[in-house]
Amino acid sequence: MSGTKAAQGCGRVAAVCLALASALGCKSDPAHPGSSTTGSGTSAPSAATSLTIWWAQWAPADGLQQLGDEFGRRENVSVSVHQIPWSSFQDQVFQEFGKQRTSFDIVVGDSQWLGRGATNGLYVELTDWLATAVDLKSLHPLALRYLAEYPTGSGKYYAAPAETDAMGWAYRKDWFDDATEKSAFQAKYGKPLAVPETWSDLKTLAEFFTRPDQKRYGVALVTGRGYDDVVMGFEQVLYAFGGSWGDFKSMKVKGSLDSPGAVEGLEFFSGLVAQSPPGGSKLGYGEALEPFVNDSTAMLMNYFAFFPDLAKKMGDKVGFFAMPKHGERRVASLGGQGFSISTKAPPAQQELAKKFIAWFHQKATQEEWVKKPGGFTANAEILRSEAFRSASAYNPAFAQSMDVVQDFWNVPAYNELLAAAAQRIGEALDGKKAPKQALTVLAEEHEKILSQSVPQ
Amino acid sequence: MPALVVLLAMNVFPLVFNIYLSFTNADLSGGAARAIGTHNYAVVFSDARYADPITTTALFVLLSVSIELVLGYVLALALRAHIPGKSALLTVLLIPMMLCPVVLSLFWNLILNGHYGILNQLLGAFGLPQPQWLTDDRLEFVSILLVDVWMWTPFMMLVSLAGLNAIPRYIYEAAEIDRASRWMVFRTITLPMSAPLIGLAVLLRATDALKQFDLVLAITGTNDETTQTLSARIYQVVFRNYKVGLGSAYGVVILVAVIAVATIFVRYIDGLNRRQGKAQA
Repeated sequence: MSGTKAAQGCGRVAAVCLALASALGCKSDPAHPGSSTTGSGTSAPSAATSLTIWWAQWAPADGLQQLGDEFGRRENVSVSVHQIPWSSFQDQVFQEFGKQRTSFDIVVGDSQWLGRGATNGLYVELTDWLATAVDLKSLHPLALRYLAEYPTGSGKYYAAPAETDAMGWAYRKDWFDDATEKSAFQAKYGKPLAVPETWSDLKTLAEFFTRPDQKRYGVALVTGRGYDDVVMGFEQVLYAFGGSWGDFKSMKVKGSLDSPGAVEGLEFFSGLVAQSPPGGSKLGYGEALEPFVNDSTAMLMNYFAFFPDLAKKMGDKVGFFAMPKHGERRVASLGGQGFSISTKAPPAQQELAKKFIAWFHQKATQEEWVKKPGGFTANAEILRSEAFRSASAYNPAFAQSMDVVQDFWNVPAYNELLAAAAQRIGEALDGKKAPKQALTVLAEEHEKILSQSVPQ
Repeated sequence: MPALVVLLAMNVFPLVFNIYLSFTNADLSGGAARAIGTHNYAVVFSDARYADPITTTALFVLLSVSIELVLGYVLALALRAHIPGKSALLTVLLIPMMLCPVVLSLFWNLILNGHYGILNQLLGAFGLPQPQWLTDDRLEFVSILLVDVWMWTPFMMLVSLAGLNAIPRYIYEAAEIDRASRWMVFRTITLPMSAPLIGLAVLLRATDALKQFDLVLAITGTNDETTQTLSARIYQVVFRNYKVGLGSAYGVVILVAVIAVATIFVRYIDGLNRRQGKAQA
């Protein structure tokens, strides 16, 4: 190759590299085919004719699509709820945020994503608008705090509650009502076989029903390590026994997460795992359902969103109750997600998204929402109403749970905090570390992660 | 020129871009990436939790490649003989290797499930213990290893068979005339003459096993420290913690390790080829 040709070759190579670099840095996205807006976002807000919502693939998303269709008919727009499998939901959403324009206008994101969405400029701040469009007093204060506010307690909102959820319990009503079981329990413990009011009662019941020779076990707990499973499963015991993740304002963890109460809670939780079916120390949300449905477990810990399907499948065999208490403390792990509007959606789309959220929170819409499978509401008035409580076997326990919900950290580094917590709590459940040692190490790791990442 | 463009677009550019990203604080969800010098590499080498994936990956490569090599070579030796239905048998043996690894992994997840998996149901039917293949710490790694061995032993067998079939027949005839024992024939003819191709197969499998991800993702999940390989760790860092810059630094370190391993193997194979060339001359 001559010098000139070599130079030409290098020039072409450089051109290819530049083209690739620009393609990576400046992706365009043909989102919203039905919209007449442009990527520049200069169109008038009235131009939006379609709304795209991204959510995980599960029954409540079907319900939201039905409501979306109703909204679409009223406003003469099309609403699409795009469902993504839970396993890749988070990955796809945040990869999408890497684009200059997201394919969605609204994402129904986990409460823990709030800090990341807010501090990285991915979620539209809704503070001023939300107060005018939605009657904030109508929303359950804890749902508003954990599903919409960042930083917690700041009064700044980056979301509006969508699906409200909490952890609760399902139990084998037919086993609890069985005369033989009742008399055996009475004879053994000197008290009637009944739904547990305290964690201690629950452990007694778990021990009573654990009969490996009959392939029967006491409890199926949420203990998986894939995402936040074991963290949410343990959280309600942690808080009930007097521990906590730490101070969400000062970011101080030591003294709370490794406190004597927290250690006692983890010891208790480990003991409870011993009353679960084989493999019970690593059951994800979906996996925990299996031993309960297949007649091998008396009680199941899980999110209420799963319970409508259980009730449908098992009928009168299943009953429901709220988290037990320890002393006077009763705590349930928060679930559910909030509507957040993408800053990378054009203004017209953002306006339509706001209109949808405001409509969704109207009382009449919420009354429709609670009729959908897994459609749990944040509307405090509906939650308190007798109509709601008597509508299903699980609604009374859900309404009770919403008053005592607690969430994990929602700072941008939440996933590192979750991974560390899953590892250390898991080590305690697997017997690799004593609960005290596991929590001491975890408290140090959490403080380190927080000190390196917050504030941003 | 078109070939060069493809090479640049598919290999050189991603590599250069990855190295560039490893010196920045690039985030998965966008925002301007800022140069932060060697900070990411400092994090990589000071991360205590990085040691576990390294150990897991090294153990996985060593065990999986060794077992697959031995089983594959033994199968190839058996299949070299003239047996009825050899073609059909060979086709059946190759099936695991030809199917999509992720799909197979998901199937194995169902098969090995401790509660409803068909394997435990079969074991239970015969009154045998029903281990928790996917959740018991002592079995998780073994489960992934067994699936990998099932999936990739056919590859070792295929390459070994090609190596064995390439040995000229007259060498065996000469050995027969010299009344060499079967062990002597195997030790001095079969093994050394098939070694270069086996070395190549080991190189390919070792570099592939170093990147093990799909089985881990589908069978135990990327966040389970018992089976977290280096690739699974990178997935956690990039796609769960959103730290593309840090993940790129992890990737560069793995790349250097893979290049080192590959260089050792290539030199070993070259050496074998040279020795064989001299012997034949």
